[in-house]
Amino acid sequence: WRAPPGTRTLTPRFGPSKPMLAFRFLRALTLVHRTAANSSNAARSRRIQRAAFASMAYSAGPRRAWSRALLCRLHFHRARRRCAGRRRAAGVPRRPSTTGSPADGLRRLVPGGTGMDYCGLLEETADYIRCLSEQVKLMQSIVDSVGPGGR
Amino acid sequence: MEAKENNQFGLEKSHGDHISSHSSGAAGFVTPLTSSPILSASMVEAFFAPSLWNHHTSSCTMNFGESNIQTATSGINCVPIGKPVAMSNRGMLPSPPPGEFPHSLPHFPVDSGFIERAARLSCFGGSSFRGISLFGPSQSMAPPSDASKDVNGARVLKAELNVVSLPVEHGTIKGITTNSKRDRSISHVGTSNNESREGNFCEDGQERHTGSADAAGNSSSSDLGANKRRKATEEMEKEKDQVLRALQSSTETTKNNTETKHKSYKHSGKNAKDNSEAAKEGYVHVRAQRGQATNSHSLAERVRREKISERMKYLQELVPGCSKVTGKAVMLDEIINYVQSLQRQVEFLSMKLAAVNPQLDFSIEGPLAKNLLHSHGGSSSAAGFSQEMIYPQVYSSQQGLAHAGISSMLNPSDAFRRPMNTEIPMASGYKETSLQMHNSWNEQLVMQMAYGANPPLNSQVINRKPDGFTI
Repeated sequence: WRAPPGTRTLTPRFGPSKPMLAFRFLRALTLVHRTAANSSNAARSRRIQRAAFASMAYSAGPRRAWSRALLCRLHFHRARRRCAGRRRAAGVPRRPSTTGSPADGLRRLVPGGTGMDYCGLLEETADYIRCLSEQVKLMQSIVDSVGPGGR
Repeated sequence: MEAKENNQFGLEKSHGDHISSHSSGAAGFVTPLTSSPILSASMVEAFFAPSLWNHHTSSCTMNFGESNIQTATSGINCVPIGKPVAMSNRGMLPSPPPGEFPHSLPHFPVDSGFIERAARLSCFGGSSFRGISLFGPSQSMAPPSDASKDVNGARVLKAELNVVSLPVEHGTIKGITTNSKRDRSISHVGTSNNESREGNFCEDGQERHTGSADAAGNSSSSDLGANKRRKATEEMEKEKDQVLRALQSSTETTKNNTETKHKSYKHSGKNAKDNSEAAKEGYVHVRAQRGQATNSHSLAERVRREKISERMKYLQELVPGCSKVTGKAVMLDEIINYVQSLQRQVEFLSMKLAAVNPQLDFSIEGPLAKNLLHSHGGSSSAAGFSQEMIYPQVYSSQQGLAHAGISSMLNPSDAFRRPMNTEIPMASGYKETSLQMHNSWNEQLVMQMAYGANPPLNSQVINRKPDGFTI
């Protein structure tokens, strides 16, 4: 029995790159503000949220399944929005968790989780959680740095 | 204890030379089971000496090993467990009683490396036994013609493993390799951590493992062990576990017939144990117990389970407030909740950011983006320029992460540009999506820059997975 030669070792890996994350996100943020200054807050917030996820995925690198899946999903949605109006793509059909697999909920949450085995799913989840928390921290600090007069 | 070890070292070194003389006649192992540094026979010294701290006598060890393997002496072939066994009275292992050692291990194919390691480990002395794991050498026993690994052999192995497990907690037992690489591994057993202790213990360099592991190829367990060793390379803390597991698993196939006593092997599943702890700690590692199937499926299953448990543990650390939770189901729920809460937080913060007045005129994209994406050289000047541009604005409020992020990102941006083509082996799909994604929120950037002129540049900058950042 030979384990798959590409077996990756367990985490801890290097975490998400904070400078890269900050850079990308800030860039995206300014761009959103510039280009969509006139649109509604909700639309802008959507864009910002997408930008947040995208910068997260970029910083995580292409080696991560979740970052790839996230980017594909974002791009796909964006293409859909551009071309086909506001129809939201279904993406992967949601399977009801009648099979009883405990990881189904997690699979839905983590981008790209549906195509993974349990072991890889856990690893991707860990990385995803790390990146998410970094992103949240970044955004929170931006919000804080703007100060109370931001609103 | 230390003095004894030093004595032993001295003795061994002094006898290092006449190992070769012993090589042919290295029949039996002496089993100095007493705790005193009684190298009961010169044989012991010869055993210990070969490469203990010299690393050079690979030839000697080879001869030694071969002779050992070949000697079908019905004499006492006991591993010179010596001190370790004696010190195992910390209760870590049910080490075989000394009286049993004199059982003949005629076919105990312990080669010199095995003994050397045992010797070394014994010399390391007082450190606690982390756990017992059968080293790779046990696996090496399989190839020798002798398949009769009787229980005594197993016990000896176990004792040896006791010894072996000694420096585990020092962090770098790089697994023992298979037969073919034995001499190399033996001669170069050097640990990176144990500089305090002669530092020669563990193997250096993972390539030894992987190389040897690849070369092993003969048994599934060796591959398993190799994989496990590979895993261990990346994680210092878990190295020990990996190695132990590798050793254990590697021995499973070799010992499936005979072992009964190894069930009691335990190794600490947790890494943060202090040295004085006995090896009976942590969880009882799953092993090929008596009567248990040791075919590849169960081994694979075991590996898989271990991986899953490791990752669950890591997740437990990540998710705050999960350390008390036990059980996979509850953990999973917690994780799901946490991920959901994080995503909600992102959404909420993005709403907040959207509402924020665009007084955050970062104007990063202007000078910075141009610098990053256009110029190959002059990075420092560009970075400085960008910094000046950005700081006055960012600092309008305070020094937040924005500052740190921007300032820090300017520097690594240079690094991004240089090895432009090194990151080619990214998924091409990824590149494309990134290009398009880059478009999606940087439409202006796209137009401003000569984006079309430098698509590879762009994508590489975007896609660059700089080493050391992630993964």
